[in-house]
Amino acid sequence: MLSIKNLHASVEDKEILKGINLEIKPGEVHAIMGPNGSGKSTLSQVLAGNEAFEVTSGEVTLNGENLLDQETEERARNGVFLAFQYPVEIPGVSNLQFLRTAVNAMRKHKGEEDMNAAEFMKLAKEVSKQVDLDPAFLKRGVNEGFSGGEKKRNEIMQALLLQPKLAILDETDSGLDIDALKVVSDGVNALRSEDRAILMVTHYQRLLNHIVPDYVHVLAGGRIIKSGGRELALELEEKGYGWLGIKDEASN
Amino acid sequence: MKSAPMLSSAFLHPAGQSLPQPLLALRKDRASALVDMPLPTRKTENWKYSSKYLKLADDMAISLPADGTVGSSLAVPGYKVVFLNGVMIPEASEYPDLDGILIQSFSDLDDEQGQALAEQLGRTLNHDQAQFARLNGARFEDGLLVRLKPGAVLDQPLFVIHETTADASGSAYPRILVEAGANSQMTLVEEYISQGESAAFTNTVTEFTLAEGANITNIRLNMEGENVQHIGATGVVQQRSSRFESHCVGFGGPLRRHDLQVRLEGEGAECKLNGVVVTQGKQHYDNHTCIEHIAAHCNSEETYRNIAADQSHAVFNGRIHIHQDAQQSNANMNNKNLLLSNGAEIDTKPELEIYADDVKCAHGATIGQLDETSLFYLVSRGIDRRQANVLLTMAFINELMQQIPVEAVRETAQTRLNEFFEQTFQEA
Repeated sequence: MLSIKNLHASVEDKEILKGINLEIKPGEVHAIMGPNGSGKSTLSQVLAGNEAFEVTSGEVTLNGENLLDQETEERARNGVFLAFQYPVEIPGVSNLQFLRTAVNAMRKHKGEEDMNAAEFMKLAKEVSKQVDLDPAFLKRGVNEGFSGGEKKRNEIMQALLLQPKLAILDETDSGLDIDALKVVSDGVNALRSEDRAILMVTHYQRLLNHIVPDYVHVLAGGRIIKSGGRELALELEEKGYGWLGIKDEASN
Repeated sequence: MKSAPMLSSAFLHPAGQSLPQPLLALRKDRASALVDMPLPTRKTENWKYSSKYLKLADDMAISLPADGTVGSSLAVPGYKVVFLNGVMIPEASEYPDLDGILIQSFSDLDDEQGQALAEQLGRTLNHDQAQFARLNGARFEDGLLVRLKPGAVLDQPLFVIHETTADASGSAYPRILVEAGANSQMTLVEEYISQGESAAFTNTVTEFTLAEGANITNIRLNMEGENVQHIGATGVVQQRSSRFESHCVGFGGPLRRHDLQVRLEGEGAECKLNGVVVTQGKQHYDNHTCIEHIAAHCNSEETYRNIAADQSHAVFNGRIHIHQDAQQSNANMNNKNLLLSNGAEIDTKPELEIYADDVKCAHGATIGQLDETSLFYLVSRGIDRRQANVLLTMAFINELMQQIPVEAVRETAQTRLNEFFEQTFQEA
């Protein structure tokens, strides 16, 4: 489904990704682990189409279609979803309006009719329950004044509404207490399906106790230096990144 | 040295003789005081960003005739008074006789009432700051007097539609005076619109006096056409515990200027001033506000937003003056500005002058562009760029739009905003 070949990317002329290769098949869950500054978030942002990052070489295809040629919104309509590490607060746009606009943009792309306000409200209320968000949040500005955990739950709620082909979760576990982690993980697990791929980017292995990956990759210095099954994550947890000869930089 | 330009003497000849004698006399008196009135230049402090837009050629001095057809047949959810080029059109107006509430055109007053009115007109304004209110005083041909007796409550908004109709160049001088008795209450909606393609000049004055405990809401919607220059002034004087709320929504033009002056003269008075300005193309809009905290324990809350697209130019100048005896004043002023293109210009200037020592006074002004991170977030959900731009621009003024207490006005403004979005954010 997702195929990344020799991907190089820079930000402000500094090369961050130095030749990433990755294949993900439908139904698979892959975890990318790595220390701060290894390029994990850059990879997520590049896949979603953030123009702040420049792809200098390589190829990315989703179901055989060149992803790098597409604008951010086209990628989203073709099934790419990024759950942000730092979801953006947008006062003045209500969460409900935002979500409905996004859902209708997807429906339009698929040639379906817009969902009217009442239908959407019903759907949104159901999905908000699934991630344990009070429906009152729908009326507030997008992520406005949400706690860290509420923002992450809102990201998962969006994934559940938009039903992407490829869900990229960027540090979705960061800033969550144990209860919120459980809610978010349940949401992600609900997303798992045979025709969907999930790419989780995380620093810690604790998320992987709740969302069990099929494959684990270790990213360091802009390259994947080791791949394996979920036991790799456990080994990493036990021995630390130093085990692979990686310095865990504090910078990001 | 080049001498300063003067207002052409062509402007000193009022038309329309239907006013009561004392008002005609007042007008004549004001006109004679206008001889040698200098026109603002960029050296005139309160006009320095706007003087270059002012184009008052002699043909603009001609009084636009009020015998045209009223173009607006707006059904309004309330009472309606229609003025055409500054003259009331009774056939187009609809309002009932209400107990304790007088709604009358200046022309319908008798000499005695006219004399009383002549003594009131212009008293709420500082004419050195709102120079063109003097011109209105010399040229008004009619006007609307609203007098609320103590305790009177107008049960529906009163819409005053000021329509400027120009088949040839000329000017109109709309005028309103609202005298709100103790504990009276009303909502006055002013809508400025225009017909015709000719260059026109609308010069308005609206005044409010609020007795103790009066509660007045004023909505001012400026939607005149592309060729209409507009200079308006609103003066407000508030007595003890009165409340004045203003919502100004304006779309740009060749020249748009509004001065809003509020004097908090009685203890415990409060005002809330909201403003939204949207400009595009080569349009201009200049808001000058001034709040005088004269008595103690008064509150003022001011929030203005400007959005400038293309090569347009918006100006905000907000002055708060806290007098020596105005202890325990609470004043908040906030102005945020959004530039939608590199060619647009916004000038903002907060002016605080504080002579009392026990006050809370805060101000903030920012100028920025649409936030790239927010835009990325929206498009990453499949929302198209154009729509994402519209959502973010609307978000900038949403809070103020939602506070406008009359739904019909919100809808009218939103329709015009949608046209603006249509023209400003093209399909990718």
